[in-house]
Amino acid sequence: MSRDIQLEIGERELRNGLTLLAVRNPRVQTFAAVTTLDIRGIDEPVDRMGLANLVGSCLDEGTKKHDDLELAKAAEACGASLDGSSTGGVVMAPASSQKPALALLREIILEPTFPSRQVKRVQAEVLTEIAAEEDDPRTVAARRFRRYVYGDHPLARPAQGTAATVAKLTPKDLRAYHKRLFRPAGGYVAISAPDEVEQSLDRLEKVFKSFRGDAVEHGEYPTVELSAGSHNDHVAMPREQVHIYLGHVGVRRNDPDFYVLSVMDHILGTGPGFTSRCARKLRDEQGLCYAVSAGITPSAGREPGTFTAYIGTSPEHRQRAVDGFLAEIERIRSELVSEQELEDVKQYLTGSFVFALERNSNLAAYAIRAKRFGLGFDFIHRYPDTIRSITTEQVRAAAERHLHPDRIAVISAGAS
Amino acid sequence: MSESLMLPDVRVVELDNGFRALLVEREPLPVVASVLWYAVGARDERSGETGLSHFLEHMMFKGTDRFGKGEIDLLTSKMGGSNNAFTDNDSTAYYFSLAADRWETALEIESSRMRSCLLDPQEFASEKNVVLEELAMGEDEPWRPLYQACEGLMWQVHPYHHPVIGYREDLERLQAQGMRDYYARHYGPNRAFLTVVGAIDPQRTVDRIHELFGTLPRAAERQTPLGEPLPKGERRAELRTHHSVTRFCIGFPTCRMGDFDDYALDLLAHDLGNSKNSRLYRRLALDEELVTDVSVINETRQDPGGLFVLGELRQGADANKVERIIREEMAGQISEGISKADLKRIRAQISASFLFQDESVLDQAMKIARFEAGTPDGYRTLEDVLPTYEALSSKELRRVAARYYDFGRATVVWAVPERPTVALGVSAPTKKSPKKSNRKESAKKPAKKPAKKVAKKTAKKSNRAGKRTPKKVAKKAAGKGRR
Repeated sequence: MSRDIQLEIGERELRNGLTLLAVRNPRVQTFAAVTTLDIRGIDEPVDRMGLANLVGSCLDEGTKKHDDLELAKAAEACGASLDGSSTGGVVMAPASSQKPALALLREIILEPTFPSRQVKRVQAEVLTEIAAEEDDPRTVAARRFRRYVYGDHPLARPAQGTAATVAKLTPKDLRAYHKRLFRPAGGYVAISAPDEVEQSLDRLEKVFKSFRGDAVEHGEYPTVELSAGSHNDHVAMPREQVHIYLGHVGVRRNDPDFYVLSVMDHILGTGPGFTSRCARKLRDEQGLCYAVSAGITPSAGREPGTFTAYIGTSPEHRQRAVDGFLAEIERIRSELVSEQELEDVKQYLTGSFVFALERNSNLAAYAIRAKRFGLGFDFIHRYPDTIRSITTEQVRAAAERHLHPDRIAVISAGAS
Repeated sequence: MSESLMLPDVRVVELDNGFRALLVEREPLPVVASVLWYAVGARDERSGETGLSHFLEHMMFKGTDRFGKGEIDLLTSKMGGSNNAFTDNDSTAYYFSLAADRWETALEIESSRMRSCLLDPQEFASEKNVVLEELAMGEDEPWRPLYQACEGLMWQVHPYHHPVIGYREDLERLQAQGMRDYYARHYGPNRAFLTVVGAIDPQRTVDRIHELFGTLPRAAERQTPLGEPLPKGERRAELRTHHSVTRFCIGFPTCRMGDFDDYALDLLAHDLGNSKNSRLYRRLALDEELVTDVSVINETRQDPGGLFVLGELRQGADANKVERIIREEMAGQISEGISKADLKRIRAQISASFLFQDESVLDQAMKIARFEAGTPDGYRTLEDVLPTYEALSSKELRRVAARYYDFGRATVVWAVPERPTVALGVSAPTKKSPKKSNRKESAKKPAKKPAKKVAKKTAKKSNRAGKRTPKKVAKKAAGKGRR
């Protein structure tokens, strides 16, 4: 199927070090542009946790040309949805509005002013959000899980920061961070639009060629260590359900086992509908939960993600749920999956890929991912063969290598 | 924007047993989406059987005469596709996204489960637990119980009173036989229609539809529920919650989906609370700094729906002042209307949101289905949507605002923290051990319903396109009851 799909992608590197990517999507009258600059979690000072997030949230709070309300008006007037992020921003709009919409994207990324009053307001919103999340047992458990799994490593830090660190941030911090890190070198701007690829690239070049700044020296992440043993922790909160996270440190996106692990994930706990083993056992057969999942590849990035199993269940089912997960983890490490299970997942992965190419925002993100992780633009044509070649023994061996039942942390919050 | 873009070429198939199908051929990606939409929802439930529509939706994946338990999901996944379903007050919909060379299996599945779902008692018992867990999850969320409390007070006679997921007490008592009766009564070709968008062979699809759906027997026609009398005074409630943030939901009874006033309410809601430049956001969040978020939902339904104003207070903000400002701004909209420039901007947002829905086959199939189900002229309404928004003048908008913005019949619900928090960003101590009774207690809260449908709204006329500063309120209040 994916062989039939012709995807026109083009790239151009500007002198300032920014890489432009363009995908042609002729069947729509809309476009999306995504900017991802080379900004890493390690670039955020330890005592300024939440700074990157706040910078992203405040990019559209005022620029050299427009104040916050004018920016919102300008975006709305051309039917655009414009959002800043800690590594850049995204704009989506009707194709007929590309020019004004891209100009707005450029403006919030290159020329934000972080006005004091607006920063304070957003800061208060983030603080309320943090407070609200501390009410939410699922988030509480997820945060503690992350903190335990990564230990002292910088990846343990919550992206949003904590109430204490966020409260201390000032507009000056935001301006300094932006000035230091929002640089073109090593960054990407990708667009998916109905136009010819060259035309899109020309358009992007015009908008972003004046982006100036030298490359940034990034810090290096220390190596992430697996924790020594298993661990249990529970935060009691008066709720209906208990939310349980279970797992340990995972893999990088460029791990040689990545594709085998993605097959393993689908069999174990990320398969569509309720086809995965965990969903079938814990939800369909035992009725323990509404939400359940387990996987190691979804969080894999430049740095190692986590192997995470999650379930939200009533407190009386807690032990059955944990035992259920552990049994499935043990089983996929020690026994070969059936040929039928493997075949079903291969059919799903090779057949579903095309849906990732439907929306402009997905296409633009795909182009960036293909570059960033060195997958190549022909990735969609190679992917099916990669998946088809995977064997049951490879799945078992990868599970044994990457899942560690003796090092598992079980962290929960909610009803006891 | 061209009209052909709003309304693609739709081929309509009508069968003698009342079944209809709307087919749209679209290339070049080899994908197809199907949506089977039933005129069955929470409004069809009688007292004591609340939650049946949604529970039945879950059971539709648990085996039919042709497809064994789990087989529907497995087949879908083997076809590289995805499926899901949702239930709301008025409808239940089942949908697939599949590769074009295998999509017809979706038709076979839908045909089989329209009248021949097994509803096996053992599966029923185990899935009941899943639904009860879903209900428990919803009760722990901050917005859902608030929104449901508001609905429960606003509708006291009409079945919109009860939550889509049902009451725990009803669900616990439900028996498989009760579901069988409900299924037999409501599921049939005359209560459903199909929408298909994608790389299909239209003639072959028509033939398959005749073959698969043509002989299915009709179900009972839909009954009209009791009408809701207009409230004679303000209704007010206060919920005590585990959450540390104070939130509110204010509802006003309005009109039916697709009525002329519905379009006006879309524009008014946008101007009132759905963007950074909206009246309420500017005043409450930016000028007075009283709320972190505020949002307005125009939630019209098949029977008269409501306009809801939802928001989240900053720590220490004065609730009375917030209410007073909402009154002032709504009164301001009645007297001032919406300026030409603002109307232009709002319309640009709405047009764009329609364009975005054409990016994927499933979004487009869903858009057509929502119009078909929800408006008097069905999918053809799509042709008139943008011109209708264009034609609305500020004077007409003021008339509509004056008609519905009546605090004398509003429902006002506040959700306030059980214990005040110590300080901003520091959660209340949670050492107190949760008791079993906790479950019972919250099950008795005035209303709970996980399944509403901002998506339905947004797809119908949609504010999704724009940068909605109040990002999370509406979304969280109105999570759809997906399986």
